[in-house]
Amino acid sequence: MKVFEFLTSRLFRNKHSGSIARSRLHFVLVQDRSGLTNEEMVEFRKDMIDVMKKYFIIDDNGVEVSYERNGASTTLVINSPVLRRRVKAVNGSAPGGKIGNSRTKSHKEVRRKKKATQQGGDKVANN
Amino acid sequence: NRVVFNLVDVAKGVCKPNQAIVKSKKSNNLYLLPASQTDDKDVVSEEEIKKVIDLYKREFNFVLIDSPAGIEQGFKNACAAADKAIVVTNPEVSSIRDADRVIGLLAASGIDSRLVINRIDFSMVRRGDMLSVEDVQDILGIDLLGVIEKDESVVIAANCGEPVVYNPKSSAGKAFSRIARRLCGEPVPLTDYIYGQSFWGRLTRRLGVA
Repeated sequence: MKVFEFLTSRLFRNKHSGSIARSRLHFVLVQDRSGLTNEEMVEFRKDMIDVMKKYFIIDDNGVEVSYERNGASTTLVINSPVLRRRVKAVNGSAPGGKIGNSRTKSHKEVRRKKKATQQGGDKVANN
Repeated sequence: NRVVFNLVDVAKGVCKPNQAIVKSKKSNNLYLLPASQTDDKDVVSEEEIKKVIDLYKREFNFVLIDSPAGIEQGFKNACAAADKAIVVTNPEVSSIRDADRVIGLLAASGIDSRLVINRIDFSMVRRGDMLSVEDVQDILGIDLLGVIEKDESVVIAANCGEPVVYNPKSSAGKAFSRIARRLCGEPVPLTDYIYGQSFWGRLTRRLGVA
């Protein structure tokens, strides 16, 4: 019986709640230890997204900010799916209108946007 | 009920320190200073608490300060006069989270802490449904003082108002004794069975597989 228990427990260890507790704790403790409040985290995430949008076209909703614990040290991890780099328009302003306004764009939409800006219009299609 | 005075009375100078302590009937070297049952924790300041504890430090080898759970004023008062701390945690998510916070606050005040893991159920650990001793040690990162298994005799002893440490059959009682001896400086080894919960567990640990 012990042998069976040993084999199955090895196989199914990850499905047991103990390992879930471990990962939940790691996640929550690193946040606790980092000292940023929830409001500060929201502000930080917003600021990061604004900076990223100056250089890339990204999906706001896909941006994940989290912490990883590597032994004694803490790493801040920012995951952001990047669709393409943002090409600055001829008249100097970034296409896509105001910063903070982007979402997933298809190839066609990007072309349309570039055209609109180059024509000098400040209305942006499909924003 | 032999309680006449309490800590607040000593702090406010209502009575002398030796008038407030109650001698234990079962141990010849154990005395209890009752806390106030009616006053808020804010009635006495941290400085006043420290003065009271310092009075007793002169007469006793050990002054154990019971702290309420959490990080409110009661905890701060307890820390005011403490040289070292014992952090007690259950192998559960919320308990460990609080313990982590407490350890951080203690460290910031220059107080060293040692860990006691309470109410652990080794059959649940074997099944993978409870964090193990190693898990908790890894997460909290402080030295382990002792491990206390979940034990019915604790509830029974509390019901009767009897210290469980006097029950020779109680595993928790024996664990408390070991902890007390370690606090006195005796090199009592941690019992082997708290690690690697089964023959196979210990074997895989030795082989470095676990």
